[in-house]
Amino acid sequence: MNWKNRDWAWIYWSGVVLLLITGYVVWDNMVPEWGDYQSDFKELVAQRFGQARAKQVPAGIQQVWVPQLGRADRCTTCHLGVSWKGFENAPEPFRTHSKEILDKHPIAQYGCTVCHGGQGQATDERSAHATMVDHWEDPVLGADLAKTYLVKNREALLQINCNQCHRYDHETKGADYINYAKQLVQQKGCRACHTINGRGGMVGPNLTYIGDQSPEQYDYSRMNGVKTAFAWHLSHFKEPKAMVSTTVMPNFGFGSKEAQALAMLVLSWKKTNLPVEYIPGVKVGDVPSPEELAKEKQMETGEGAFFVKKTCFICHSVSTLGIESATNIGPDLANAAADVQARFGRTLEDFLAAPTGTMAVVLSTQIHLTPEDRAEAISKLKAAYQLKLEQEKTARPRK
Amino acid sequence: MKNLKLLASEMSEGRRAFFRRIGQGTLLAAVAGQGYALLRSLVPNVLYEQPQKFKIGLPTQFPEGVTFIEDRRVYLFRNQNTFHVLSAKCTHLGCTVKMVNLNQPERVEIQGRQVEIAQEFHCPCHGSKYYGDGTNYAGPAPQPLACYQIEVSPDDGQLVVDLGETVSRDARLTV
Amino acid sequence: MEVKKSKWDRLMWTWKPPSEREAGDSVVRNLLLHWFPAKVTKDSLSFRYSFWLGTVSALLFGILAVTGVVLMFLYVPSVERAYPSVKDLEFTVSFGGFIRAVHRISAHLMVAVVFLHLVRVFWTGAYKNGTASNQNRPFNWILGLALLLITFLLSFTGYLLPWDQLAYWAITVGTNIASAAPLVGDKIRFLFLGGNEIGQNTLLRFYVLHCFFLPLLVLFLFSWHMWRVRKDGGLACVDKLALKQKSETTAPVKSKTYSLLGITRGRTVHVETALVAQDEHTVPSSPNLTRRLLAVMLITLTVVALLAVFVGAPLEEAANPLVTPNPAKAPWYFLWLQELVTDTTIHIGGLTINGALLGGMLVPGLLVLLLGAWPYLDKSSVNSVGVWFAKERRRQNLIFLAAVIFILIFTIIGTFLRGPYWKFYWPWQGWPEVPRRF
Repeated sequence: MNWKNRDWAWIYWSGVVLLLITGYVVWDNMVPEWGDYQSDFKELVAQRFGQARAKQVPAGIQQVWVPQLGRADRCTTCHLGVSWKGFENAPEPFRTHSKEILDKHPIAQYGCTVCHGGQGQATDERSAHATMVDHWEDPVLGADLAKTYLVKNREALLQINCNQCHRYDHETKGADYINYAKQLVQQKGCRACHTINGRGGMVGPNLTYIGDQSPEQYDYSRMNGVKTAFAWHLSHFKEPKAMVSTTVMPNFGFGSKEAQALAMLVLSWKKTNLPVEYIPGVKVGDVPSPEELAKEKQMETGEGAFFVKKTCFICHSVSTLGIESATNIGPDLANAAADVQARFGRTLEDFLAAPTGTMAVVLSTQIHLTPEDRAEAISKLKAAYQLKLEQEKTARPRK
Repeated sequence: MKNLKLLASEMSEGRRAFFRRIGQGTLLAAVAGQGYALLRSLVPNVLYEQPQKFKIGLPTQFPEGVTFIEDRRVYLFRNQNTFHVLSAKCTHLGCTVKMVNLNQPERVEIQGRQVEIAQEFHCPCHGSKYYGDGTNYAGPAPQPLACYQIEVSPDDGQLVVDLGETVSRDARLTV
Repeated sequence: MEVKKSKWDRLMWTWKPPSEREAGDSVVRNLLLHWFPAKVTKDSLSFRYSFWLGTVSALLFGILAVTGVVLMFLYVPSVERAYPSVKDLEFTVSFGGFIRAVHRISAHLMVAVVFLHLVRVFWTGAYKNGTASNQNRPFNWILGLALLLITFLLSFTGYLLPWDQLAYWAITVGTNIASAAPLVGDKIRFLFLGGNEIGQNTLLRFYVLHCFFLPLLVLFLFSWHMWRVRKDGGLACVDKLALKQKSETTAPVKSKTYSLLGITRGRTVHVETALVAQDEHTVPSSPNLTRRLLAVMLITLTVVALLAVFVGAPLEEAANPLVTPNPAKAPWYFLWLQELVTDTTIHIGGLTINGALLGGMLVPGLLVLLLGAWPYLDKSSVNSVGVWFAKERRRQNLIFLAAVIFILIFTIIGTFLRGPYWKFYWPWQGWPEVPRRF
C-alpha cells in the first residue's frame, strides 16, 4: 500500500532528524565553555607545580554559596587560580587574586559578585560578565566598562560596590575614588540642597537611595550618546543645566575625575539588607568598659595570676593580690595561712596535700594540682598573708 | 528469467529489511537520547550545601576538654596544645550522639590496649554507646565514630576541619 | 500446524496483527489499544481532512506533562527562589535549558493548535449531528470549547511561574482585565490572586492550578471528548461517507431492525444506522491508525525539538513590583484582548467607556457564548457534516473567517505594532532605546 510506505518514510525520516537534534543537544551539553578553561588550567598547574598538584584542580561547576548574602557564584569554575599562590602573573582567567583584600573578605564568606558585580549564577563568560546581555543590569565592574567611560584607573569602578557596605566609613582603604567623592560631598556642601544618608536639605531630590532608581526613570531627552544612568550622572555633575534645564544646582566646575568619582558614589547609594556581621567596623557584643578591661588585665597578668590560671578565683578571692571572686563561695585566701591552721589545725602544705570537705571534692575532680603547683600555691598564699598583715599594720592607728 | 527476477526481489527484500533495521535503530537512539536528557537533568551538578572543609576558630578560642560544634555535628577535643576531631554522627543510622562526662576516668581495654577515657558518647535513638575515643562498645552501631582531619589554616591560623578526609584514631594536631 | 511463536511475537502481536480477525481482537486484548475502535474509515485517517490537529494537541499535552513533571523536580515555587531556580535551569542543570524550551514551545504551540482545531471543526461542520442515532456532536463542541478555555488558563498560570518581569506584569495586566467583570470582578481577582497583590499566595495558587488541577480537568474533559467522538460514530467525515453510501448501488448492508412499537422519536421502525460498508471503506485500527499515530507523534516531537533548539525560552530580569517594563504586554494569545481593550476605551466628552469591561469582558464573553450556541443555531442539513467549506454553510463559514481574521489582526497589532506607552509603531520604526545602568 502506497500510503503505508509513506507513513513509514515519515516515521523514519523524522527519527533521523530527531536523532540529529538529540545528538546536537547532548553534545552541546558535554562540551561546556568552562571545560576548556579547566583543562587549560590543569596544564598550567602541571607545568608549574607538577602532575600531583594538577590532579588537585577541581572538575565541574564550582559554586560559592553565601546564603546570608543570597549569592551563588560560579565564577571560580573558570577563575580557578584566585586562591592559588604563584599565578600572580598568569593570564586571566587564571590570575591569583590580590591577597590583601581576600584576607579581609574571604571568598567563602563573600562570594565574588558582591564586590565585582556580574551574573554569579551564569556559567559562560558572556552571561557571567554581563556587560552586554539583555535583562541583567549588574555587569562586572571591570576594565571593559572603565574603558567605555574613560576612567583612568581601570579597576576603579569596582569601588562602587565597596561603598555599598562601606557607605558610612569616612574613608575606606583602597577606595580612593569613593574617598575623594566623599570629600567633595563635604567640601561642596551637597547637603545644603540634598538629603544624603537621611539628613540634608529638600531643595533637590533625596539622594539617600538614589542608586536604586531604575535607569528608565531618568530623563534622557537632553542626552547624546549612550543612555545609561551612569552617563546621565556624569553629564549632570559636569553641567547640571545640560540635563535638567530648570535646575538651580550650580556648576561646580567638576572635571572628569570628579564627575566619575561622584557618579560612582551616587550609584552606590542603595538599600542593602546587610547581615550584622557584614557591616564594617561594627563589633557585636557588649564591650567591656576600660575599668573592666584593666581589672581583667591585672588579674591575668598580676601577682595573683596563678589563682586565675588554676581557676581558684572562681570560688575564692585573694584580696591582697588583687584577685576578686565573682561568687565568694569560699573564704578569702589572703587569710588562708592562718585560717587553715585555725579551722582544721593543720598546716597549709598538709591541707593541700590531703584536703577535706569541699576542697577534697574539688581538688580530686575539677582542679588538678601537681606537686609544683601546690608549692607555688603555698608560697603565693604565704606572700598574700604577709601583705595582709602589713596592710593591717598600716591601717591600724599607731598608738 | 524467473530466477533472476526472484533473485532481484530477494535482494531488494534484504535491502528493505536492512534499511528498516537502520530506521528502527535511529528511532530507538533518538528516543533513548531524549529519555537520557530528561533523566540526567535530575542529577544535580551543584549542591546548595555547607562546604566539607570549614574553619571553626582560633585554637585559643577553645577550652580544655571537649567542645560540641553543633551546627557541623563534630566534637572538638583539646588537650593542652593537641587537637583532634570526632564525628557526632552515630554510625548506625545517623543520629547525633550525646556526650556523657564520666565522674572518674575509667580504664577500658580497646583492641588489646588499656586506654583511659574521661567521657562517653551515647546515642539517644537506639542506645548505641561509644568510648571517648569513638570506639563503639554497645548497641547496634557497627563502626566507631569517624575521625576527621584537622589542620591549621596558613591564612589566619584558624583550625580547619575537613569532613572529606578521615584520619586514624590516634592522629593529633599539635599547634 | 502452528508456527512456533517467539516471546516477542506473543507480546507484540497486537501491534502487527497478521489478519483482520486478529486486528479486531487486538483492540480488546491490549490496554493501550482499547482506546481505539476496531476499524476506522480510510477517510478518517486522511491528513487533509483533519490535519490530525486534535491528535497533535493531545500529543503536545503529553509532551508538556512529561517535561512538566521533570521541571517540577527542579523549580521552586517561592517568590525568593523561583527566579534563581529558573536561572539554575538555564545554567547548571544538564539539559535544563532544552527541557524548559521544549516545555514553553509546546505550550505556545498547543494554544495555537487547539485554536486551529476549533477552526477546522467549524469549517467542516463537524459539530453537527449526522444521520446516526443518539449523536450529540454539539455537546462535544461545548466540551471542546471548555478544553480551549482550560488550555488558555493552563498557559496563563504557567506564564507566571518564572517570576520575571515578563511574567509578573503579564499576569498583572491579565488579572486586571478580569477584575473588570461587573459585581464580582474584584472578588474574583482577590480569590485568584490570594490577596490584593501578586505575591507568594498567587504564585502558589497558580502553581497548584498549573501542575495539578487544570491538567486533571483536561484529562477528565479530554476523556469525555474522545468518548463522545466514539459514541458519535467517529469523525464527522464518517457521516458524509454514510450519506454517500446511500446513493451507491452496493450489496444491501446488514443493519439492525428494532420493533419498538411506536416509541421511537420520529423514526420508522427500521432505524437508520450509519453503518458503512466495512470492507471497502474501513481498515483495522491496528496497525493502520497506530502507524499514522506514530508518524504524527514523531513529527510533532521533531518539530518541537527543532524549535526548542533554535528559539530558546526567554528570561527577563527578576520580577520587580516597583518597575513596570515599557510596554507591559499580556501573553500573545491574550494580546488581541489587550488591543481590543485599548480600542474600546473611548472618551466621549466627560464620559469614559470602560474598555476593560467592554473589550476585555463583554466582547470575549459574547464570542464564547456565541461559539457555544452556534451548533444549536446552525440550521444546515446533514449533507454538510464533515465537509470542508460546504456550499450550504458558506455564509457562516465566511462570518467565522471574518472573526478569525479579526482576532489575528488584533494579535498582530498587539504583538508587533505596539511599543512603549502602547504607542503605534510600524515594524520599520525602531523602538526607543531601553536605558541601562552602565
